[in-house]
Amino acid sequence: MARSINLIFVGTVLVVVSMVGVVIARQSTFKASPNTQQASDNASSSDAHSAGGETTSFPVVIHQPDGPPRVKLAGLDPQGRTGEVACSTCHAVRQPNFENKTTETLDEFHQGLVVAHGNLSCYSCHNPDGSDTLRQADGTKIEYQDVMTLCSQCHGPQATAYAHGAHGGMNGHWDLSRGPQVKNNCVDCHDPHSPAYPKMVVGFKPKDRFNTPVENAGH
Amino acid sequence: MSSVSAPSPTNQPSETTSHISSYPKFIGRSLWLATEGSLGFYAWMTMLTALFLVGANAWANQVAGGMIGTNMTDQVSWGLYIANFTFMVGLAAGGVMMVIPAYLYHDRKMHDVVIIGELLAIAAIVMCLMFVVADLGRPDRFWHLLPGIGKFNFPISMLTWDVIVLNGYLLLNLHICGYLLYMRFLGRKPNPVWYIPFVMVSIVWAISIHTVTAFLYCGLGGRPFWNTALLAPRFLASAFVSGPAFIIVAMVLIKRLAGVGGLDQPIATLTKIIRVTILVNLLMVASELFTEFYTGGSHVSAAKYLFFGLHGKTALVPWTWTAIGLNVTAALLFLWPGLLQFRWRPLLVAACCMAFVGAWIEKGMGLIIPGFVPSTLHEIVEYVPSQLEWKVTVGIWAFGLMIFTIAIKTALPTLKHPAEH
Amino acid sequence: MTDKPSLPVVENFSRRAAVKGAFATLGAGAFVAAVSPLRQAAKNSSAAEFMQTHYTELSPEQKADVISRLEAEAKEKYDADVTIADDRPIAGTKFVYAINLSVCNGNGKCVEACHKENNHDRDTNQSYIRVLEMPKGTMDMEKGSTTYSGAVPKDDKFYLPVQCQQCDEPPCVDVCPVKATWKEEDGIVVVDYNWCIGCRYCEAACPYHARRFNWKKPEVPADEVNPNQSYLSNRIRPVGVVEKCTYCLHRTRRGQLPACLEACPTGARVFGNILDPNSNIRWILENKRVYILKEELGTKPAFFYYFD
Repeated sequence: MARSINLIFVGTVLVVVSMVGVVIARQSTFKASPNTQQASDNASSSDAHSAGGETTSFPVVIHQPDGPPRVKLAGLDPQGRTGEVACSTCHAVRQPNFENKTTETLDEFHQGLVVAHGNLSCYSCHNPDGSDTLRQADGTKIEYQDVMTLCSQCHGPQATAYAHGAHGGMNGHWDLSRGPQVKNNCVDCHDPHSPAYPKMVVGFKPKDRFNTPVENAGH
Repeated sequence: MSSVSAPSPTNQPSETTSHISSYPKFIGRSLWLATEGSLGFYAWMTMLTALFLVGANAWANQVAGGMIGTNMTDQVSWGLYIANFTFMVGLAAGGVMMVIPAYLYHDRKMHDVVIIGELLAIAAIVMCLMFVVADLGRPDRFWHLLPGIGKFNFPISMLTWDVIVLNGYLLLNLHICGYLLYMRFLGRKPNPVWYIPFVMVSIVWAISIHTVTAFLYCGLGGRPFWNTALLAPRFLASAFVSGPAFIIVAMVLIKRLAGVGGLDQPIATLTKIIRVTILVNLLMVASELFTEFYTGGSHVSAAKYLFFGLHGKTALVPWTWTAIGLNVTAALLFLWPGLLQFRWRPLLVAACCMAFVGAWIEKGMGLIIPGFVPSTLHEIVEYVPSQLEWKVTVGIWAFGLMIFTIAIKTALPTLKHPAEH
Repeated sequence: MTDKPSLPVVENFSRRAAVKGAFATLGAGAFVAAVSPLRQAAKNSSAAEFMQTHYTELSPEQKADVISRLEAEAKEKYDADVTIADDRPIAGTKFVYAINLSVCNGNGKCVEACHKENNHDRDTNQSYIRVLEMPKGTMDMEKGSTTYSGAVPKDDKFYLPVQCQQCDEPPCVDVCPVKATWKEEDGIVVVDYNWCIGCRYCEAACPYHARRFNWKKPEVPADEVNPNQSYLSNRIRPVGVVEKCTYCLHRTRRGQLPACLEACPTGARVFGNILDPNSNIRWILENKRVYILKEELGTKPAFFYYFD
């Protein structure tokens, strides 16, 4: 009897020791693994590409509008042609009407244009003194290509986030030492007249077996 | 040494004859004995063979066509196979409830028939291994698990521990049973040095197989339903219900069909053991449920799903209430002192069957599946075993019963005419 | 059973032995017939595949052999000309992902991009990403739904895309019994699809539902196969093994952005090297209030969520 109790005791001790062993081994493998693996086999890829961005060679390309927008003609011109014209085609010969604060008061052109961008009126952004350009809050002229500067006057946090890749999305390479990166412009995603991002329809769903929608769900 | 079992003189090697010639003879005779029997025996074995073949065929189809034939999903990634595996580990460990009285407390009557428990352990472990193989997506890569030629993630992965303890337990019991039966065949008195230490190790080992199996689940932080320290004790408690319950039924059958005597006292001992373990098990289940439901929060969703259904999904509700009903009824029956009376034998068998099925549900469908429902992203994907899974499961059970039957037949001379100590 | 002598009479013996032998033969024959579908399965995998050793133990020559064999298999089974590279980590990188939950609108383009990029099964629309639609005002996933559809975003909801978090303490790696999955030095948790035995313990261990099992052979039409593949990444997986998101290592280890990020129309996704102090990801970690999923589990994800 005493012998068997001793045996059981030894067995228990062994189990406890081995459990402690697991815990220690578990800890140590995690500490050890980065070093051991690092030494092994990435000599080939380790060459010039340091992480520090010092070797940056490829550019970050930001989409830009081609130039000032072109306005589609509503009807035919006197020669019977359809087409697009520059803003200045009309606005060069018309005086700006600063009383038009919203699209509702437009009675000749641009009817139906929906503007839902805070309390901004047309000339908050469009330049009354040069209709193929925009203007900033301090009155300085700015080209359509540089529209992002204009947006950034109010949307500073977004501009900051954008500058750090945290807004706006991108394509191409995260590692500029290996390839370029292409980034969207504000107006690629946001219509400046109604900048709220539009709703989308979910087009693709994984078909998990036995996981049909429980429409209801109470919540 | 009693001579009633009359091993023929040719089987008795003189001290100079080597085991190399006598061991094959022992194996041959055991096989011969195991395949002798009444018409009923042949019918039983034929039925088991047929069921096993159905299972083998289903499994082959599963391997050929991919596990899409099962109803498991990425959400419920383990199903009937692992449920049965868990239960079978318990059954294997349950055999130790005969070994402890027999060897630690020198219960003579129990000692005479303790081999039933050890043989059950062998059959159950073989079934465990078969269930694990059935659950593998790539059984052809099984060799990756072999220490030495594969890559064995020991000691970090609990599954490698399980591989070790299960195979170790299998070897231990094969050695103990094989040695005792072989000595019996030779007509020699077993030398305690060659089996007593192994029996003692096997007692600790039996606890370890079920503890390690519980650690497979309870070490997973992402599965709150399993992530409880009570899991291993619960596993052991229910193992010590299901194991003895199976053995009691087996002993009643062995007594009736094979006329083995001296089983009544072991049956009584095991009944008394179940009387305690079944209550301990129920107490732990109740304590688990109290903690879950009284605390509430999102940890309780799996238990809610199990007992009442969640968002109108109720696939497990009938299972779990059946288990509760069976377990409680069995517990009440076991509490009744009259159950031990001989005239109530059928009721004892019924109570054992209830406890057995109750434990099977509680540890299988009632424990493995709710660990996955709701999923880690709280999707509620239900699981009901497919026909293929049932076929494979039945096939493995049939094979296990075949092994057990053959093993018991081999051991019958020992059981009928126990050696003197 | 009656009490007959334990050894039968000898004349009887040979006859009974013959009968038993006949039945044993019959049984063995029936067994062979029952498991005959295995022959079909055996046809689908070569001896070379069976004998292949673990990825980390392959010599460069063996690796080249394995890769050319896999390319030939892709041609044979999928009729696709693919290039399988063996992209190794770039020294000095640790990849980290972040998602802006104020911007994500749950449109699911990332889910689709992942599906196409990683050669997922077309039948099931498999993807490594699941998006949860969550009611505003809670972080309790139980209140979310992955099966939402229609126009998004809904006014009272926000959207939480979940994929592999490339944990620093990955429970899935710990539990693997055969070391078929491990964490590489750039932080990516990878799977050797030719070593995995398909036990799915990792699927049970992952708290983020990041792993997928190949319940059947993936179906991808030849013209839809992405030929730009990597051994540890998006090569078409064999049946019966587990797979997972690798942050598109066949792209990111060549300096490119992951496919899900490029596909995101809202710009909610940010990817980069956390060891580079000038990286986008560092700026987010230093300037935004970020949080991680299921922090209490101690998995230490390399995947962050933030709000504007």
